[in-house]
Amino acid sequence: RGKMDEGKAYSPGGVFAHLEMLEARACEAATKKEETERQEEKLARLKARVEELRLQRDELQAKVDLQQKRQLGKEGVASAPAQPSAQAVLEWKIKSVEAMLQVFYLTGISGKLTKLGVCFCISTAYEGTYLDSYYLDLLTKPEVQIHRHSVPIFIPLGQIAKKYLQTDIRRFLSVLSDHLNAYAGRRYQADQLQEHFSDQIEGTLQRNSLCNLLVFNYNVSSKRKTFLFNVRLLYGDLCCSLPTEVVISCTPDAPASLAEMAAAHSDLFRRVALHKAFRSFSSAEENMD
Amino acid sequence: MDEVVAEYIRRTVLKIPRGEIKTMLQTWGFLSEAQLQTVNFHQIKENISQDVVRLCEENSAGIKQAAVLDIIYNHTYSDKRVWSVYQMNKTGEETEFFDLTDFKKKFKRRLRSALKNVTINFRECEDNSIWIRIAWGTPYKKPNQYKSSYVVYHSQTPYVFISASMLKSNLPLLCQALVVASNYRDIREMELRSHSLNSLKDIVFKRYSQNFQTYYPRPLQERNVAPESADLRIVQENRHEKERIQRVNRKVFGDGPQPKLEFAQYKLETMFKSDPKMGVLDKKEPFRCLVKFSSPHLLESLKSLAPAGMADAPLSPLLTCIPQKARNYFKIREKKGIFPGSFVSP
Repeated sequence: RGKMDEGKAYSPGGVFAHLEMLEARACEAATKKEETERQEEKLARLKARVEELRLQRDELQAKVDLQQKRQLGKEGVASAPAQPSAQAVLEWKIKSVEAMLQVFYLTGISGKLTKLGVCFCISTAYEGTYLDSYYLDLLTKPEVQIHRHSVPIFIPLGQIAKKYLQTDIRRFLSVLSDHLNAYAGRRYQADQLQEHFSDQIEGTLQRNSLCNLLVFNYNVSSKRKTFLFNVRLLYGDLCCSLPTEVVISCTPDAPASLAEMAAAHSDLFRRVALHKAFRSFSSAEENMD
Repeated sequence: MDEVVAEYIRRTVLKIPRGEIKTMLQTWGFLSEAQLQTVNFHQIKENISQDVVRLCEENSAGIKQAAVLDIIYNHTYSDKRVWSVYQMNKTGEETEFFDLTDFKKKFKRRLRSALKNVTINFRECEDNSIWIRIAWGTPYKKPNQYKSSYVVYHSQTPYVFISASMLKSNLPLLCQALVVASNYRDIREMELRSHSLNSLKDIVFKRYSQNFQTYYPRPLQERNVAPESADLRIVQENRHEKERIQRVNRKVFGDGPQPKLEFAQYKLETMFKSDPKMGVLDKKEPFRCLVKFSSPHLLESLKSLAPAGMADAPLSPLLTCIPQKARNYFKIREKKGIFPGSFVSP
């Protein structure tokens, strides 16, 4: 009633205008309602579809499970399969390669497949200390060949590759790893010696690229006097980080008792890492005094 | 003391930057610490050099000691010379136990048997290298100490680094002596030259950083990354492309510093390809052309080309193969693939 009064207040044709307005509003409301209803319908349909698809999926899954069980059942029943399927063989191969990679990773060799082949990483370590890693980028087609690498030039990579790369890649990696680990170990020992026992060494530590020939002089004390020993360490086996030949010589005026010490040292160098041998010298001397 | 020796020592000292003279003389070890104390190393170099010569006279320096000082100078300032790389080949697989004394003896004997007037000096340096200095003379002239050649050799490697400033006729003799002394069969010059001796070593000893694919991501080195603008209104339009370029660049060049080379030279012997109707050349012969890239640090500048937007990534393999092929002088011929290259016969 209040509204009708309004209409009266503003215009003579107020009632009709008002009716028109109400009509328009009703129309709008009806359209909106339709829209909502349509959307609800659509939603309901989609929900139904989802349920349908879920059912289908469950059915298919059940079928697959049943098939697999049947497969296993067959294998269990047959005493010996006539011939493993190509699929099974391939799966077995992949599994064994994966297992091999896993084993190699534990031994310090790991690999990653690349677009054209494999990239191997050989990690070196010596007595618990991790040292450098070296990489080999191999191509597998048309034959196995080395594309790039970061192996030092003085490691006989060419020789090792010639022997084993084509025929037995596992052996190739193993032999190369031995060389690299031994080299890393020898270098580590020499570095440790120079770093921690430089006060006992007279002059320079002469070494070569492979660190398989070390020559140096060091001080020994006997009966409160110091003498100079000259030692030549030859590492004949490139895969070994201990010397194969040790020659210790002393100055001509040295007392005879020193010969015993030289022999003991020589034996020690052959058995124990270089820096550890020197550590035992200093502790032995401490004990003596 | 010989006047020649005195003058040579004086001139060598003059080459050394003033702040380094004392250290170098100490490394030399020919003058005692007490003697060095008597020299004022803050005066002008002219006077320092004369004081040093005076002390050397007291100790009766000979050409041998002077040569050692020269080697030390060149070892410290090896970048002042141009170095070439030579590769030696051998047959057989014996693991040689490199005997330095034997090497020196054989080298000297070989060289001296062919040339009477020659000064040869050796020095083992801290990085396990053997430096050889050779001053060349003729049958009628004494060796010219000011135009010496230097050879750097690392035992148990097939590479020799030579900085020669001598008559071409002496080079084969030098190569022969090296081959004989190190028990190799032959030697050939590689197409690799640079001022930076250490970079040449990095390249042939494979000490430079290469990017290998592994499962274990190595820690990223600090890179000069421009800080992302904190202003959110600034948006990087080409972020994907920039990241792609960075990825490709890293894959090709690796993460670490590049070896330092000053040029790459490409000698083209290819046919000029033009519109046949234009007929620029009457004869059908290869268009001879030499392309030379120069830079204070060639590989670093190549590495920064794509990120700077000056070239497309990936770069031409002709440029990126330089460290891996260990060469910076190429000959590009017509057919069969991108670059057969030239291989100097061994």
